[in-house]
Amino acid sequence: MRRFLARFPRPAATLPVLLVLGLALTAGPAAGQETPRYHAEMTSVLQTLAGAHKTIARLESIGKTRGGRDIWALEIANPAGVPPAKRPALLVAANFEGDHLVGSEIALSVAGFLLENYPGDPDVKQRLDNSTIYIIPRVNPDGAEGYFAPIKTGRRTNATPRDDDNDGRVDEDGPEDLNGDGFITVMRVKAAGGEYMIDPDEPRLMKKADPKKGETGAYKIFWEGIDRDKDGFIGEDPIGGTDLNRNFMHDYPYYKPDAGRYMVSEKESQALMAWIIAHRNVAAILTFGESDNLIAPPAGGRMGSSRELDLVRFADAGNALAQTVGMIQAGDGVGPGFGRFTGGEFSFEMTGDFPRQTRQQQAQPAAQEGGRFRMPDRKAPTTVNTADIEYFRTVSEKYVELTGIRQPLYVREPQGAFFQYGYFQFGVPSFSTPGFGLATAESTGQRRMGMTPPGAGAGGEPGPQAQAGQAGRQEPRTGGTTATVVVSGGGQEIIQIMQGGRGGEMARAFQGQAGAAAESGLVTAPGVDRQILRWMDAEKVDGFIKWAKFNHPDLGEVEIGGFKPYAVTNPSAAKIAELGASHTKFVLYLASLFPKVKIAKLEVLNHGGGIFRIKAEVENIGFLPTALAHAVSARAVRPTMVQLQVKPEAILSGNAKTNYIQTLSGSGSGRGKFEWLIRAGAGDVVALKVVSEKGGTDTAKVTLK
Amino acid sequence: MKTIRETRSKMKRTGTILALTMLGAILLALVSPVAFGQKASDPPFKVKLDFNRWHDVPDLYADFQRLQAAFPRFLEFKSIGKSYEGRDLMVLTINNPETGPEMSKAAMYIEANVHGNEIQGAEVCLYTAWYLMENYGRLDDVTRLVNERVFYIIPTVNPDGRQYFMETPSGVSARSGHVPVDDDGDWLVDEDKPDDLNGNGIIEQIRKYVPGKGNYRINRASPNMLEPVPFGETGDYILLGREGLDNDGDGFVDEDNFGEYDGNRNWAADWQPNYIQRGAMDYPFQLPEAKAVNDFLTAHPNVAGVQSYHNSGGMILRGPGAEAAGDYPMSDARFYDELGQNGERVLPFYRYLVIWSGLYTVHGGFIDWTNDGLGIISFSNELWSGEQYFTSPNLKEQQQNPSSPIAPNVSRYFFDKYLEFGQEYQPWKKFTHPQFGEVEIGGAWRKFQGRVPPRFMSEELCHRNMAFTLYQADEMPMIKMGETNVEKVGGDVYRVFVNFTNPKVAPTIMARAAQNNVVRPDLLTLEGKNAEVIAASFIDNKELYKIKPSVTQLIDQKDLKRILVRNGQAGRTTRTVMYLVKGSGAITVIYDSVKGGQASKTINLQ
Repeated sequence: MRRFLARFPRPAATLPVLLVLGLALTAGPAAGQETPRYHAEMTSVLQTLAGAHKTIARLESIGKTRGGRDIWALEIANPAGVPPAKRPALLVAANFEGDHLVGSEIALSVAGFLLENYPGDPDVKQRLDNSTIYIIPRVNPDGAEGYFAPIKTGRRTNATPRDDDNDGRVDEDGPEDLNGDGFITVMRVKAAGGEYMIDPDEPRLMKKADPKKGETGAYKIFWEGIDRDKDGFIGEDPIGGTDLNRNFMHDYPYYKPDAGRYMVSEKESQALMAWIIAHRNVAAILTFGESDNLIAPPAGGRMGSSRELDLVRFADAGNALAQTVGMIQAGDGVGPGFGRFTGGEFSFEMTGDFPRQTRQQQAQPAAQEGGRFRMPDRKAPTTVNTADIEYFRTVSEKYVELTGIRQPLYVREPQGAFFQYGYFQFGVPSFSTPGFGLATAESTGQRRMGMTPPGAGAGGEPGPQAQAGQAGRQEPRTGGTTATVVVSGGGQEIIQIMQGGRGGEMARAFQGQAGAAAESGLVTAPGVDRQILRWMDAEKVDGFIKWAKFNHPDLGEVEIGGFKPYAVTNPSAAKIAELGASHTKFVLYLASLFPKVKIAKLEVLNHGGGIFRIKAEVENIGFLPTALAHAVSARAVRPTMVQLQVKPEAILSGNAKTNYIQTLSGSGSGRGKFEWLIRAGAGDVVALKVVSEKGGTDTAKVTLK
Repeated sequence: MKTIRETRSKMKRTGTILALTMLGAILLALVSPVAFGQKASDPPFKVKLDFNRWHDVPDLYADFQRLQAAFPRFLEFKSIGKSYEGRDLMVLTINNPETGPEMSKAAMYIEANVHGNEIQGAEVCLYTAWYLMENYGRLDDVTRLVNERVFYIIPTVNPDGRQYFMETPSGVSARSGHVPVDDDGDWLVDEDKPDDLNGNGIIEQIRKYVPGKGNYRINRASPNMLEPVPFGETGDYILLGREGLDNDGDGFVDEDNFGEYDGNRNWAADWQPNYIQRGAMDYPFQLPEAKAVNDFLTAHPNVAGVQSYHNSGGMILRGPGAEAAGDYPMSDARFYDELGQNGERVLPFYRYLVIWSGLYTVHGGFIDWTNDGLGIISFSNELWSGEQYFTSPNLKEQQQNPSSPIAPNVSRYFFDKYLEFGQEYQPWKKFTHPQFGEVEIGGAWRKFQGRVPPRFMSEELCHRNMAFTLYQADEMPMIKMGETNVEKVGGDVYRVFVNFTNPKVAPTIMARAAQNNVVRPDLLTLEGKNAEVIAASFIDNKELYKIKPSVTQLIDQKDLKRILVRNGQAGRTTRTVMYLVKGSGAITVIYDSVKGGQASKTINLQ
């Protein structure tokens, strides 16, 4: 721990150096430091850090995980003056995904830099005197443990046991380190009818054979392991759990195995939700995670496209059908061959047995005729409000400028991610970045998923999902096209014919498979494997295990190889200091943007007879509005309250005693104007109070004369 | 019958003692109805309860405790958690331990009162427990139901709201729970609640008499009614709002009452944020009451049926709550329809409806979660329909006449005057208001009308709704073993046919639950030391198979000794499994379902 702190020069000794923060922060680690590394002992690191800066740091456990680990929140603020809980605040949270350790290290670095450079650095001093910075560096400590385990699985989930394939046995079939190299990678097996082939351009990689180009698959791909529960699938039900960045309420992926049993089902997510709704002063959120809206800002309101590994998707795809084993035909007999693998619904449709009006369908028009007023069914938006996009773009530009990151290596779709909650429901500017990436944006052409969205027809015409902008998702009931989905099922070949035009039920019944098929690469564009390999080669990252023969107990001769767990989601530890420095600058920038309400004008006019006219103007001199446009429509942020401190009956005319301003735009550009005629005594002092949830408080007094 | 016999022999014994001694009021109270009961039509009830009044929370729990004390063998009344204000959430378990542990039997979960003001469901719960216990051993259907099923009954899932409703003046919304919420965005919570200025237990309207200068007038047919004057005319009254004070001095009256959220929007299926679904809170299961109930249901996967009592309107509701969720799969809708339509037959004036199309859109509602997220067949009855005030066809016809004293807009004044003797309506009276001076106050209703039946009609409501819920409980899945056949194919290979039947309306796993993978699949296991399963198939109809043997579904699973049946056994169906088994000796075939119980049979290979 002491060695960790040694990375940060003592402020007294290094004040002159640090005056130019940028210089100091980009200087990187000095000689004599410990070898940079990822920290297993997060608790003691934080306790030592907070202990060394008692006046401005307060460490609090916001909850315990199933594994009994604390989730720590570090509050950094100079507590003199307005209490930290009432100041505009930035929340930095990281390591939701168990395999994204770099996020927690960057967050830790940011905390260290802030604490070490207060009050010496004027920017740091300004932020910590006027605002609050909360840092929750490791939201998923149970998941992060996987990084330090002797066998590295790259587990993303927390420790909640979960029957992933719903077969009545929990966590019974995880991957296994067959070749004893300490890493779980993938196995490729030569097999007739396999869907995959060795990529001719890059023999380390695999690609899906494209019959339209006359390609024939020759391999199957599995997770490294054996079929422990003898159900025909390998590694389909590993230890854990829930992916915490899939467990929040916005765009929640219902009933998907990693998303948890329901929204906020986990101790970690519950702790974070309880914490944040008790901290409405949080005015911006920065998360480090495996989705991105900083390197590439939301375009047209939509998130950037996901970039995921093919090798991983291929290995997962083989297990997708594990969740549907035993979905058998129910009900009356149908012709031979029909509905063999389908649910009962299909058979009704097929036999024409049930073009039957259900009771509620009959009742429905009656209810409408009865004149019962029905509110239109509103839907929560899933794209950034156009009026807010410019803020995201501005911040993104600054992020790229300060960090130099122009392309993320690897990003996922953000369904159920915390930062999405932060904007769409909590109502503040909310960001996610992997925290590292490529310094040059490389065009990946059609490799970027969003460009060849799922549901696209053979001609590459964007399907309805292209508009939805959420690659990798397959919505039910999306038109009448017929797709043939071929998925390998752990030694079994199962062919599903999906007829999307049949109405929602079939589509829904096979949503799981369809999603899996999407992941298998059939209806989505290829991943980013080749680009990552090039990056690894260039940076000399030892992140790919060469295929090597292995004699598998069940499958015979296989080859084991592929990307090392954690190597794609984390840069080398040597990069942490530099990333910490650049992200500290970004954090200081973010904390400079908060709205700040101010009473711009307060005037009195005496009309005689004890009647006074009071005029007031309220403005916001910060950069951000007191509430984003979406926060206004979502009623996520309390309107700014303007209250004249008189008895209500003293007001004769004009505004009410208590008034609300939905939002005040920043930089003093928006003004709220108020006017009251009151009955009062000359010499009375009247106060005006302005309270903004994200923009602080202002009070002014005027003497009536 | 056991209970009856026990009671009778006890009666004989105590009867002798009674003749000689004065054992006091307790024995007398217990014995005398029994003594007369032999000749009277009433069965000899062990516990006397009233169903013509409304219970506050302590009163309600006390009655349940009396039941538990009287029927300790079957009843357990315990807390599953605390409400926000620290009241216990109490669940009554009805289980006959002699017919198996709770988890081996399908359970019916019954709750009420999630909205604090929707009170009478708790009385239905109480009546249900009382009726089942009193009639166990007396009515064969009840005895069988209690032996075959488990009941979990939570009479109030919002005890804070219930108690608030009972204690506070009429006219105050008690729908919400009591977690404090800042309704008006002034950073203060629950700081400006309603005020009963004249202390008569009703929040009334205030009007001022301003002859010829007002904008309201008295309805000619019904002098209790105030109505706005038509355009171009003037009235004698102005309305000054309701009783209340600006407690926090912000210029608004009563703008921040208790809570003001909806405990029935805090559930995890189709949960939507507050601006889409008012009252949803910040995230699902944020409310301690919802969390406790969900934890309870999660820990009791044997729950196959749910009934959540609300009021009012006379409805038997099922999901989905929102149109966008899409209707239930056809096979699910089919059994829901059958149950709901029979419900309409036992509940006159109740209509079987889908929430979004028949009532209004609900996101994050309780029964959407229990159906979609927990795989439980779920209904929500809206207890009491105003149509029940005037039930005869003749009176319905009279109501068509707008000048009739029972025309719809005035009928409740008539009913209150002639059937409830003025118990519920509060007429106008003169009042000196601290701010408005001389005014009139009144024109308001007490709380035990409108949404709840008049007391004298309450027992019927209890009984009919219970009857529907017991019918639902009876039609929950139940796996039974049918006939078996063994045929020798050759050598030591046998063909074994085993029939499984689910005679009830409900399937062991709903189609929606199977799609969502929220119920553990049914498990078909074959045990036998010397048996190896070569193949297994499902046959829809054994007779058909005998003629056309190709009609099979080969079970394409690796482990044929443990077959997953992910979408379960449909209602009222028999399915045959055909095994090709190599081996000898005894094999046992077990069908194990989470919500429909287990069945097994041992067969000899010979």
